[in-house]
Amino acid sequence: MAKEEPLATQPLFDTGTLARRHFDDYAGTSSDTMRAGAAAPWLAVLEELSSVAGDDLGHARERVQRHAIDIGTGFRIIGEDSERPWPVSPMPLLIEAAEWAHIERGVVQRADLFETILADLYGPSRLVERGHFPATLVTGSPFFLRPLVGLAPPGGHHLHFVAIDLGRSPSGEWRVLADHLRAPTGAGYALENRLAVSRTLGGLQARLNVRRHAPFFAAFREGLAAACRRSDPRIGLLTPGRYNPSYPEQAHLARYLGLLLVEGDDLAALEDRLYVRTIAGLKRVDALWRRLDPRLLDPLAFDSHSRIGVPGLIDVWAQGNVVLANAPGAGVLESPAFGAFLPQLSTRLTGADLILPNIATWWCGQPREAAHVAGEFGSMLLSPAFGARTLGLPGDAPVAGADLTPEQRAAFLDDLTRRPQDYVGQEIVRLSTMPVIIEDRLEPRPFTLRVFAARDAQGHWQVLPGGFARIGEHPDPRAAVLGEGTWSADVCVHGAEPVSPVSLLPAPDSLHVRRNPGTLPSRVADNFFWLGRYLERGEALLAAIRVMLGHSIDADTGAAPDEATIAKLVAEIVDSGAAPAPASFRRADLIAFARTAMEARDGWQSVAAINTHAQRIAGGSRDRLSVDMVRLLDAPFPTHRGMLDRAGSLQRRYAAIAGLSAEHMGRTAAWRFHDLGRRIERARAITRAARIFGMSGASAGDLSTLLDLADSQISYRQRYLTGIARVPVVDLTVLDPGNPRALAFQVERVREHLAALPVLDDDGMAEPQQIEATELLALVAPAQAALLDPETLSEVEHRLFRLSEAIARRYFLQGAEPLRASGLTLA
Amino acid sequence: MRYDIRHITRFDYGNAVKFARCNLRLKPIDWPGQKLEDYALHVAPSGRTTAAYAEAGLAHVTRLVVDERVRRLTIESVARITVDRLVPVPDASDPMIAEVCALARASSDVSAAGPAAYLFPSPLIPLDRAIADYCAPDLSPDRNVLEAGIALARRIQRDFAFDPAATLVDTPPHEAFAKRSGVCQDFAQIMLTGLRAAGLPAAYASGYIRTIPPPGQERLVGADATHAWVLIWCGPQRGWVGVDPTNGIWMAGDHIVVAIGRDYAEIAPVDGVVLGSGAQAMEVSVDVAPIAERIEEPA
Repeated sequence: MAKEEPLATQPLFDTGTLARRHFDDYAGTSSDTMRAGAAAPWLAVLEELSSVAGDDLGHARERVQRHAIDIGTGFRIIGEDSERPWPVSPMPLLIEAAEWAHIERGVVQRADLFETILADLYGPSRLVERGHFPATLVTGSPFFLRPLVGLAPPGGHHLHFVAIDLGRSPSGEWRVLADHLRAPTGAGYALENRLAVSRTLGGLQARLNVRRHAPFFAAFREGLAAACRRSDPRIGLLTPGRYNPSYPEQAHLARYLGLLLVEGDDLAALEDRLYVRTIAGLKRVDALWRRLDPRLLDPLAFDSHSRIGVPGLIDVWAQGNVVLANAPGAGVLESPAFGAFLPQLSTRLTGADLILPNIATWWCGQPREAAHVAGEFGSMLLSPAFGARTLGLPGDAPVAGADLTPEQRAAFLDDLTRRPQDYVGQEIVRLSTMPVIIEDRLEPRPFTLRVFAARDAQGHWQVLPGGFARIGEHPDPRAAVLGEGTWSADVCVHGAEPVSPVSLLPAPDSLHVRRNPGTLPSRVADNFFWLGRYLERGEALLAAIRVMLGHSIDADTGAAPDEATIAKLVAEIVDSGAAPAPASFRRADLIAFARTAMEARDGWQSVAAINTHAQRIAGGSRDRLSVDMVRLLDAPFPTHRGMLDRAGSLQRRYAAIAGLSAEHMGRTAAWRFHDLGRRIERARAITRAARIFGMSGASAGDLSTLLDLADSQISYRQRYLTGIARVPVVDLTVLDPGNPRALAFQVERVREHLAALPVLDDDGMAEPQQIEATELLALVAPAQAALLDPETLSEVEHRLFRLSEAIARRYFLQGAEPLRASGLTLA
Repeated sequence: MRYDIRHITRFDYGNAVKFARCNLRLKPIDWPGQKLEDYALHVAPSGRTTAAYAEAGLAHVTRLVVDERVRRLTIESVARITVDRLVPVPDASDPMIAEVCALARASSDVSAAGPAAYLFPSPLIPLDRAIADYCAPDLSPDRNVLEAGIALARRIQRDFAFDPAATLVDTPPHEAFAKRSGVCQDFAQIMLTGLRAAGLPAAYASGYIRTIPPPGQERLVGADATHAWVLIWCGPQRGWVGVDPTNGIWMAGDHIVVAIGRDYAEIAPVDGVVLGSGAQAMEVSVDVAPIAERIEEPA
């Protein structure tokens, strides 16, 4: 008998028939991308889709979206609700290899032209002098950085990575809508889209010979490295920080490209060199892929208000000692006004016309163009010429002249006489459509395409085969109306040529084996240390809440906490700042108290607040945390059932996080800092617990509580059959180096970690934090349970505090806040 | 007129700062009508000074690095300068505003001295509708540009109250405009906003002005201050012409230009970054002494 298939997955028709039906039912006109070219590749896509989704294409959309969320979780900011800006549509945009070759040539030509113009603008400035365009075209751009005129970019190039937005007209012609030369976003989303779509339509790549993304990114990284002076350079991705909207993409790209993710604070410019502050001291940085606005890069060169830049960075750059990709000031060519001059410049400078034409643009800074726009603006798109706000247009976004109210028209025409240089008129571009799944079927929607190019090790431009398509929400084909778009799609370049299974692996002899994965920036060490401390603090607070609520595994000893013990526990929780004291020790009040200590968010150091701290800290080191850890941190708090159950469920979650960090994190310096944080926090908690519940005069309830807080009930009962007694309890929870919850165990681990971390000098002398740890061990290791008094435990607590401070002083960025020096009195 | 100028800036830090990196824009630039005869810069503790790479406006930028721990930083700039600048007299050969605007737009001078850079709003002086409307009556396109410039400066001087308590160094122009009061920087910024809205190239000038003591009183040493006013580019023949909206006068023999930029950020006498915690207090004293009437200074 034939293999039985479950009924539900049996489609009514075979996938070929379904694909043909979807294709024939599609409403796209003859100018649509699916209608314009050969049908076979699109039918192949539809077959793949049908094999996943059957008759209902909505399934495919859900499926690919699930994959996208799945992939995205790895690089989305936890604790924030931000979804990826453009959800991905499962239907890729197909571009045939020959058509793509045309786009590729056009993009390379354009990137080369930009490089030539930039070299002139920041160099001899002959183009303006000879009248190719007026000076105003340059000085009008907020991205023209005069201080950099006369400085040659290290490595020889201003541009390393550019993005160009293209629109496809109904006649099939590709035209340039915008250029992005500063810090183009979207390459990370192109990667993510490809991954999500290929997980859904697995067979497509081989079927259509879809060209791969990996070689492009490898070429970009090699290009950056080749521009550096040192042969084995350290390259960073400079991010504005975790609150920047495209931080997740930056963290993802840093991880994908193997770049050090750094913020301005991590870097120091000293003696004409750039360094990153690491736990092993200052380390040279040779290149930065900067995702920071150029004016914020260096408070000494540009905006002295910048607090996220690196003072002196531009000096290092001017000395040729750091490559910046792209060079600051490249954005001057992004102005819409520049588009009016590019066609001429291309012909004059290279002798060739632009392969990818600009949309027709009239810059009103010239009398004839201004007159033309004044007459024809009703059929044009009006934009600020340099992207900045004007006095004559309602906003800084492009607006159709026909859409202006009579008052707005008057205001525009009025200002056009005074400040014509602020405006461009552009033709209104109509876009062709591509198929998109809306509800359960294919619908035509207009789209734009962002293409990326990067310079390789030979200095030549490589173009990412594919890119990032943005899809308009409405069928309205005017490019201006599309705006940001609402959906995105993968872009597949396909052809007859089979694609060799490219691997990102370099040639065997070009890479030496390393076990230490680079140096750890001080900020990351700081983050991991405090992540450990907060997670452990949350665990300790949960344990206290649970014990207080009357939980004890130890029902058979009859040692449930009595009221005096509960009073001490409550005092300890109040002391930690988790909640205000309860009205009484009646059960109802204690439950309300527990709820506050777990869930309060209004200033109390509750479990929820501690969890938020941990999320925030983890958010700053997303490139180094596992997806599972992020998910556990990010999961919502339990809201059902009693407080005891909720506390238990949270405790298990924290235990799972601890297990992940113990078993899944590589034994890197980052892990050591995470574990250091946990050990110090746990040592502090057990020391306090022992002082409150384990000193002479402790009741049976106190001692049982101490065992609970130290999670050592079972160990105790296995070891001592006689029942509960103070000295053995104290020995087990404080002094036993074999008990992983005991103080002695924590102190030994701390000393081991500090011995293994890098020191600054190789003179063999211990550093202050190592001395603190050794002294602490000397205090704890020889102690005897019977003689342990509250004074000694207070001393231990004090020393733990000093140890933490010493670690922070030695390894973390801290202390010095930059102040602005600024001086003027005015008459 | 010859001047001895002494400009002292002193920072006191609550806690010692680890190190300081500053840009000093204190040495007067070469500019038509004035000649720098002698100049000295003293910094205590001494630190290292170099010429900076990055210059945005027309300014002598000196980079100062102090990498020892300090609680006090004193920067003393001493200049002897001769000023020989006549009051400009508008005449019929001067261009109209519309002509100046068109010439500036078409200029092929991209340098910091050319008009093109000063046609546009800048980070600290954005375009503003209310200020533009206030200034517009003086700036009709067919008016002689010099006459228009001095008329607007005089109107601002009349309409606005000089009040050092009204604004701070970072008060934006629209706020000072709404209050109808402020100090020299506020008046300069308001005038620049209006001139640029009319399409004219206009620059922020910073420097010093000779103060004349009230009759019968002696000049007070160190009681002067830095001053700010406006330069208007009036076409290739006239070039840059200065007007002072604080006093409603032309820039002439009493004005000493130190630096010129699009706005304060490009001419700030001292700015930069200091690593430290705690507060900083700043004290500035300026003394502009005409050499003819020079008096004995206390030791």
